[in-house]
Amino acid sequence: MSVFDAMNTSASGLTAQRLRMDVISSNIANAQTTRANLDENGEFEPYRRKMVTVEPKANDFRSFLHKAAHGKGVRVTQIVEDDEPFKLVYNPNHPDADETGYVQMPNVDPLKEMVDLMSATRSYEANVTTINASKNMLMKALEIGR
Amino acid sequence: MMEWYDSAFQTLEGALNFATLKNRTIANNIANVDTPDFKAKGVRFKNVLHQTLEAKRTHPRHIEFSSEDPSQKYQTYTKQHTTYNHNGNNVDIDKEMSELAKNQIYYQGLVDRINGKFNNLETVIRGGK
Repeated sequence: MSVFDAMNTSASGLTAQRLRMDVISSNIANAQTTRANLDENGEFEPYRRKMVTVEPKANDFRSFLHKAAHGKGVRVTQIVEDDEPFKLVYNPNHPDADETGYVQMPNVDPLKEMVDLMSATRSYEANVTTINASKNMLMKALEIGR
Repeated sequence: MMEWYDSAFQTLEGALNFATLKNRTIANNIANVDTPDFKAKGVRFKNVLHQTLEAKRTHPRHIEFSSEDPSQKYQTYTKQHTTYNHNGNNVDIDKEMSELAKNQIYYQGLVDRINGKFNNLETVIRGGK
């Protein structure tokens, strides 16, 4: 319970949305990466698309006892990999092409990433608006009795 | 004579607390706008039936039934029964943003009103000079 509760809550939202944007940037930057890491056979594997999962913060029993019924924001649970199969592109001259001439490309869909990026940006902006609202309210409260 | 003043300040103070809690709740809803299975929360005034039906503790050291202060006239609640998104989330971002704007103006109005009251008091103290 603090004066800055609402701002802390919105700040957690900003952090989560910014991480989403970072992960999306990484996905787009690696959309053509065919040598992201080595698999168990010692061969190169293409980049796998990553996604961020989030959950409400302090959603435990104690938070109900401590009068935090309004919630304390959001936090990132983990960054998961998309297990969709890699795209196969016929390109026999590529150094990573197999015997049949196909290259395994990352399972990144730039269109999907752009849509996710827009979504993250809008959510980020909503949290900025909330911070400004809380800030204006606190500034107004300082005028009491002036 | 001063009771009239005190009660007005108390009412305004209660309204400020309500607006603050509402702001926190809206901030939490907006922060969780992309969280799967998150259900939006709201603030509402308790009704008389709820107050009458509320369970009573038989010992002061028992855990409270409600997480909120029983003397408070309002409480947070979860909007359980709707889903606006395929991931189970039910935060209506347009509603939350307009509620946020509304709450902000409400809060500023309350502060102006409190200041008006203080100014009245000041005028009286100075004897209208």
